[in-house]
Parts: sequence; C-alpha cells; structure tokens
Amino acid sequence: MSERFSRRDLLLASAALAGATAWPGRALAQAGVMRIGSLCPVTGAGSPYGSGMQKAIEIAVAEVNAAGGAGGSKLELFSEDGQTKPDAAVLAAKKLIEVNKVQAILGTWSSGVTLAVMPLTDAANIIEMNTSGAPAISQLDKKDLVWRFQATNDRFGQAFAVIAEKRGFKRPATMAFNNASGIGNADGFKKAWERKGGKVVASVVYEPNRPSYRTELQQVLAAKPDVIVTGSYLPDSTIILREWYQSGQDLKWIMPSWAANPDLVKALGNEVVEGLISVDSVSNENAASYKHFDAAFNAATGKSASTNVYAAMCYDMVVCIALAMEAAGPNATVLQVNAKIREVANPDGTKVYTFSEGKKLLAEKKKVNYEGASGRLDFDQYGDVSPDFGVYVVEKGQLVRRDVVSI
Amino acid sequence: MTLVDFINLLINGTVEGLLIALPALALTLVMGLARFPNAATGDYMTLAAYAGIGAQSLAGGALVAGGIGAVAAGAAVSVAFYLWVFRALRGRPPVANLVASIGIAFFARSLLTLFAGQDQQTYAVPLVRAWNFDGIRLLPTDLYVAGIALLAMALLFALLHLTPIGRQMRAIADNPDLARACGIRSGRVLIALWAVVGVLCALGGMMFGIKAVVMPEMGWELLIPAFAAMILGGIGSPAGAVVGGVLLGVASELSVPFVGPSYKIAVAFALLLIVLLVRPRGLFGKALVAR
Repeated sequence: MSERFSRRDLLLASAALAGATAWPGRALAQAGVMRIGSLCPVTGAGSPYGSGMQKAIEIAVAEVNAAGGAGGSKLELFSEDGQTKPDAAVLAAKKLIEVNKVQAILGTWSSGVTLAVMPLTDAANIIEMNTSGAPAISQLDKKDLVWRFQATNDRFGQAFAVIAEKRGFKRPATMAFNNASGIGNADGFKKAWERKGGKVVASVVYEPNRPSYRTELQQVLAAKPDVIVTGSYLPDSTIILREWYQSGQDLKWIMPSWAANPDLVKALGNEVVEGLISVDSVSNENAASYKHFDAAFNAATGKSASTNVYAAMCYDMVVCIALAMEAAGPNATVLQVNAKIREVANPDGTKVYTFSEGKKLLAEKKKVNYEGASGRLDFDQYGDVSPDFGVYVVEKGQLVRRDVVSI
Repeated sequence: MTLVDFINLLINGTVEGLLIALPALALTLVMGLARFPNAATGDYMTLAAYAGIGAQSLAGGALVAGGIGAVAAGAAVSVAFYLWVFRALRGRPPVANLVASIGIAFFARSLLTLFAGQDQQTYAVPLVRAWNFDGIRLLPTDLYVAGIALLAMALLFALLHLTPIGRQMRAIADNPDLARACGIRSGRVLIALWAVVGVLCALGGMMFGIKAVVMPEMGWELLIPAFAAMILGGIGSPAGAVVGGVLLGVASELSVPFVGPSYKIAVAFALLLIVLLVRPRGLFGKALVAR
C-alpha cells in the first residue's frame, strides 16, 4: 500500500487542520466571497416546504449578487438536503462546513434538525438560521450565532391564548405531544392564559405512536372543557379528532397549522373538522418587501409566496446576512458580520424593504431597519422574532383565514 | 375513579391489547417453529396495511376489498421473504436469522417509502358516534376491530389443533428432530407457517390502520410492545401471546388515572418485569431444557 500517508504527511496534515480550526474568525474577503450553505428539508416531513425554501434562498443570493454583492464580497451558495432527519442533516452540515467551508447554514426547518446541527455550527463559529419552534434552541444558543425566523412554540402558545380569549372560551384544556415542541405550545398557552387570570381545566401530555388516544381524551373530556388547545402533529391529531368526534362531546379545537392542514381535512372528512381553528404565523403581507419577494417567488416557481410561509423566512435570512456584511464593511470576519445582524434588522434605523435600498443607505453611513417579507424581524436577546399569527377556521373543508392577531 | 371510568379504560385496554396480540402471535409462531425473533414482523404489518389501502381505493372504497388485498399481500410478502432469505439460513444460529430479519425490515420500509412516500394514509371508514350506555362508551369500530382479531385467533387455534398441518406445526415446535424422524416434511409446514404469519400481520396492520393512521414507521414502532406481549405470555405459546397482549394493554390503560398517560407504557413494562421475576418462562411458557 504505497499510497498510505507517511507519518510526516500525517503530522503536517493534522497540524494544518489544527491551525485551521483554531482560527475561528476566518476573514471573508480573502477570496471576495461569503460562502452560504442551504440545508432545507427538500425530502421527508418538511418536503411540502423544502424546495420552495431553497428556491427563496437562491432568489435572494441572486439579488444580492446582482446588486454588486455585500461588503465587497459576492455570495456563493452550496445546497444540501436536510431530509427532515437529524442524522442526515448532521452529515450534510459536516460536508457543508468541512468541504465547502461555508460561513453560514440557512434554512433548517424541524426543531430536531436545528438542535442537531447547532453544535456543529457553534463549534465552527459560523451563523445558523432556522425556522424551528422548540424553545430549547434559545437557551442553547450560548454564542448568539443562532437566528430564528419562525415564532417559538412558546409564542404560538401565547397566540392560542389571545385567540381563545377573543373567541370567548372560558374552560380551555390542553393536549400535548410529548416532545419539546408539543409541550412548548401547551405550556406557552397555559402561562399566557393564567396571566390573563384564566384557569386551564385539564392538561394531558401523550406519547407518540399509540393506536388510540381514548384514555387521554377521556381524562380531558371529564373536565368538560369548551375548547382544547393542542401542541400536536398530523398523525396523532388525526387519531385524537376521530375518537373525539365519535365520543360525541361538543367543543372546539385550536391547533397549530402543522397539525391542522388540508391533509387533516382529507383524512377525516369535512364534518369532523368543521369549525376547527388552525393557527399559523403569517408573512408581512402588507410590506413592500413581501410584495417584492412574492413577485420574484411567483416568477421562479409559479406559486404565490402565501403557499409557503417558510420561503419568505429563508429569503429574509440571506438579506439579513447581506445587510450585516454591508454594515460590517470589507474584510469582516463571520463573527463581526454576526454582531451586525440585530443592528440592521431591529428598530431605530430607517425602514428598508430590499437589500439594494439598505445597501445605499448603509453606504451613506445611515442606520437601517430591514422590514422582512416574513415579518418585522426584530430579534430579541435570543435571536428570536415575533411574527403575526393568522387564524384559520375550517369551513366546509376549506381553511379560511378569519383573523390576524399579534402578541 | 368511578366504575364507569374504570369500565371505559378496561374496554380501551382490551381493544389495544387485542391489536397487539396479532403481531405477538406472529412473533411467537416464528419463535416456536423457525426459532428466531422475527424483527421484520412489524414491517410486514406496514406493507400489508398499505396494500390494503391501495386495494380499497382501487375497488372504489369497499373495505372488504381492502381486507382481501391486505391479507393477500401480507401472506405473499411473508412467504416470499421466507423463500428468498430465511430458507437459505435454516440451521444457522438464531442471531443470523435475527440480523437478516432486521435487514428485511429496513429493506421493506425503504422500498415502501420510495413508492408511497412519508405521508400518512387512512382507511376510508365511515365515522359513527359511540354507543353510550350511561357513560360507558362503546365504539362500533372498536367492536369491529376486536371482533376481527378474536375471529382470526379462533381460526388460528382451529388450524393448530384441528388440522393435519397444524398438528405437524406443533410437532415441529415440540421437537424438530423427532418430527423429521416421523416423516414430517418441514419445508411444506414452514411455507404454511409463513403464510399464516403473513395473514396475522396483515390483519394486525389493517386493524391498526383503521383505528389509527398508516405510516411507514407504524409496524416498526409496534414491534417492542408485541415482543413484550410474547415474552409475558411465554415464548412459543399462542394462547400466551393473546393473554400477554391483553394484560399489557389493560394494565397500561388502567394505570392512567394514577400515573398519567406519559408513564402508562412504563407501567406495562414494570408488570412484565414482575411477572418474569416470579415466573421467568412467562405465563404459559414451557421451561426451556438445555440441550
């Protein structure tokens, strides 16, 4: 085996590797490019959204480059499929970091994937941007390198409380799927509801993959609630709603949109889901940035941006990074760019709705506040945002938007 | 907890237990005759459940067509994998067969997701309100599911105890060498065994699909409860598998008022532990003789 490394080669290689990894703030401008990795859920449970998300990132990268790049650098995009699976996403993230040397990973969708990829991006000191809901992501983001463009499950819970109050419910109960996201929704609701002086009459946390949830339902229904708020997913919601309908007790349901979607209606039929309330974060529909993105997304995919809320979030990720690069100036490191993200997106600056608008003002040394296509994008101390929420009611098998609430 | 609650929980537990008993029966039959734990049992259920949904929609929504499709597919898949894989591995240690069955499980599931995708599927079953007897709620679907499971078990026991092929199966289970010396051709018997296993898996998969939803992982997730039911009842004992399944189901549901739904599965396994401590061979198992 003559091709084997000699000991000297090995030593050299490991010294080089150690040197490279010990250099956290790699300068961007070395080659005049910022390398961005996209890790959207093109296949798996996130597949209805993944390709649109990836498309949105491509659109934004093309726009930034067409405007002459940001901070003197062009963006270069590397795309991988996260498969909505933590193990597959970790492999893909490793490839993006080690082979493509990306300086940011964008578009992780499920909380499980984001939580699995975060340790890698943190260790490499690069930016991570996601659309996940689990509250734990905020606490684990110790280096402030993780940015979340979707509402946390806790905020979804708060939105549920606002909706339940608005609709005059008095005796809510909660049912939560036993994971960070499900419990996050239910606990967020409970805390917000109790702050309003209300009382939750029953709460149940249930296990995944059961053939039946009658016993869990029996416990909740015994407290005679007028509405059940869930932190659930599609399969368990299908089983629970079917068994509830058969039990014949009259009440309403408030569910997150990833559980209460057209597939749920298809699985159960119109009669069972009539009047069910589905809650989703909504894009910044009245902003110029949304109209701009909607036109570009429509031209690229033939679909309206309203069919995929996550696409607008991914578009905004690239714009935020590019504006931060512009604000940080040429030769900035990833960490210096990261430190500028809040500055270009949060209030106080002049509101801007596209990258080129922002670039012009930044060149004049003015402060900017990017109002995104997905939301106002005002990042809190954890790098989380508060979008508005759409309230959809199932009427004759159709999800009809009846209200928009802010928290 | 009132008596009404208690009875409702008892009903839920029994129905869930009967569901688990079907794959547990399939497992225990393979353990008894082919002598290895068949980890692909769950994925036979999944494949058959998908085939049932396919057959139902092809036949324009008739549930009977779905049932026929599921049973035919289950038996075909089970016999095919026997002829292809397990027959070649006969006489090898159980571990070789176990590992092969895990491989089959992954293979079958990946093939399935390639064609059917990851999305959930449902059987089209008309939804009916529960019959309410002073608070005791009986779901017609549950009765139907339990009825089919009981009927399948009755037929299986009739097959094992009243037919020549069943007698041959029991002979091989008792002592394979003696059975061969008596002129029992085990090849034919094993094909019959795998066909029966496929039918049991298919019924279990379809009943689970009617009660819950059909997803690629569903059978794999059921494997551990089915194993537990088989071990509780005594490995190789068909009656034990049924009793074990129902006991585990009832124990976990009845524990909910005391420990909450998150821990009900733990209670079922605690029961299994206790029984095995007192009676290591399971409820109906024969003491294993070292050879």
